[in-house]
Amino acid sequence: MTYRQKRIAINNIVMTLSTISALIGLGFLLWILGVLVFNGIEALNIGIFINEGAPPGYGESGLKHALVGQLLIVLYATAVGVPLGVLAGTYLSEYAQDSKLAQTIRDISDIMMSAPSIVIGAFVYAIIVMPMGHFSGYAGAAALAIIMIPIILRTTDDMLQLVPSTLREAAFALGAPKYKVVIQVVYRGAKAGILTGILLGIARVAGETAPLLFTSFNDNFMNTDMSQAMASLTVTMYNYATSPYEDWQRLGWAAAFILSMFILGLNIIGRLFLLRKRGK
Amino acid sequence: MATIVNVPEEKVLHVNNFEFTYASSDTPNIKKLSMPIAKNCVTALIGPSGCGKTTLLRSFNRMHDLYPGNVYAGEVLFEGRNILNPKEDLIALRAKIGMIFQKPTAFPMSIFDNVAYGLRLQGIKNRSELNDKVEKALKDAAIWNEVSSRLKHDANGLSGGQQQRLCIARAIAVEPEILLFDEPTSALDPISTQGIEMLVSELKERVSIVIVTHNMQQAARVSDYTGFMYLGELIELGQTEELFVTPKEKLTEEYITGKFG
Repeated sequence: MTYRQKRIAINNIVMTLSTISALIGLGFLLWILGVLVFNGIEALNIGIFINEGAPPGYGESGLKHALVGQLLIVLYATAVGVPLGVLAGTYLSEYAQDSKLAQTIRDISDIMMSAPSIVIGAFVYAIIVMPMGHFSGYAGAAALAIIMIPIILRTTDDMLQLVPSTLREAAFALGAPKYKVVIQVVYRGAKAGILTGILLGIARVAGETAPLLFTSFNDNFMNTDMSQAMASLTVTMYNYATSPYEDWQRLGWAAAFILSMFILGLNIIGRLFLLRKRGK
Repeated sequence: MATIVNVPEEKVLHVNNFEFTYASSDTPNIKKLSMPIAKNCVTALIGPSGCGKTTLLRSFNRMHDLYPGNVYAGEVLFEGRNILNPKEDLIALRAKIGMIFQKPTAFPMSIFDNVAYGLRLQGIKNRSELNDKVEKALKDAAIWNEVSSRLKHDANGLSGGQQQRLCIARAIAVEPEILLFDEPTSALDPISTQGIEMLVSELKERVSIVIVTHNMQQAARVSDYTGFMYLGELIELGQTEELFVTPKEKLTEEYITGKFG
């Protein structure tokens, strides 16, 4: 075999192996999505959005309580997590820059991002649920916000650093004070990236179950009082899917389907923002 | 000491024993430099890479203050005061001493908002006043005809040469006393370069200009005075024609004849 033939042979082997690996991964993904869509769509009906949970065999039960609870918990988590994450990212990129403090915060955020979410749930259980004496929507939102902050902080930091420093200098050279440079010029330059980070952060926490088990717990009925235990799609899905009743299992599929579509939607919107930015 | 010949009476800036040290450096990057900058003229700064010409230029609007640890010494007199004073109001100073950068720096907003940016910083909110001033600045920067029909469009859609003229419009809209050009055409094609050079020659009637350039022909074409810098020092400053035809210093002669650089 000549050197050239050998090179081509190795090339073909590597290409084949990597293609097969990619296909296996993709195959599982499509399998999961296929089962989900098949069972989910079958379980979907209008009653799911109208009815609350009901004991098995007693009338029609739905997921209204879980949908509303999920939205409320994620909304509160977003209301806390997004401003904190964006402002902290701004501090790192625009003010602290390469200082020791900034590097430490970056490292800690990276660690927090990979921390098991159940640990964060246990932490919130200890500092909010225990003193309050009962589970609450607020505790669930707090746990999700804690998971969300490092994600948004790091993307904001990265995206702001991608804005060329000459753009900042040009704004300063016109006599702009620092806060105006940041808000009017740097934020605009990084708008699409920051928005994507926020959407991906929301998508990430919307699919969390473990931290909610300890915090917002669950409720089979409609509740909009954040200071009380509250249903969420993820915990409801866990409870229904593991129950022995067939109509509850169907509701579990429906919850899984709705949740997946919600997160898929957020991800697609996030990618579209990035694509639009690159397209310019 | 540098040879300084035939600089007119009226000066807009006076640099006295100026020293500058970057945070990362132990020794001064600019050493005991003194030079006058003539009012309503174009002064070019030439010299090999790393000679400190851009560093000097960026000291005139205190751009180095954006990064920690840089140290100024000596004085730069402007309007009778030393602008290196730590108490200097940098926001007011930079509104009077504008800057054009090497690469065009159009902000991610509309063409109109780009030019109005400095005006709005100065508190001008009146719509018709803004319209008038933006139009005037764009006309003065010789770009009005190209953009008048699309003022609301994103400035990043313009070509490099157009963006650079937009940046000049943005800088002159606030009517500065001095404009600092930091190699303004090094990222542009020859035709855009010619446009910027013509603009520089026209603008000097209203504003004093300091331009840093790598291109000696450009210095010869646009400037009234030229300073030659080498290793952080000013070697020679004089009328451009004189400096290029009959340089007083041997080092200047060697540089402009291409013996080094």
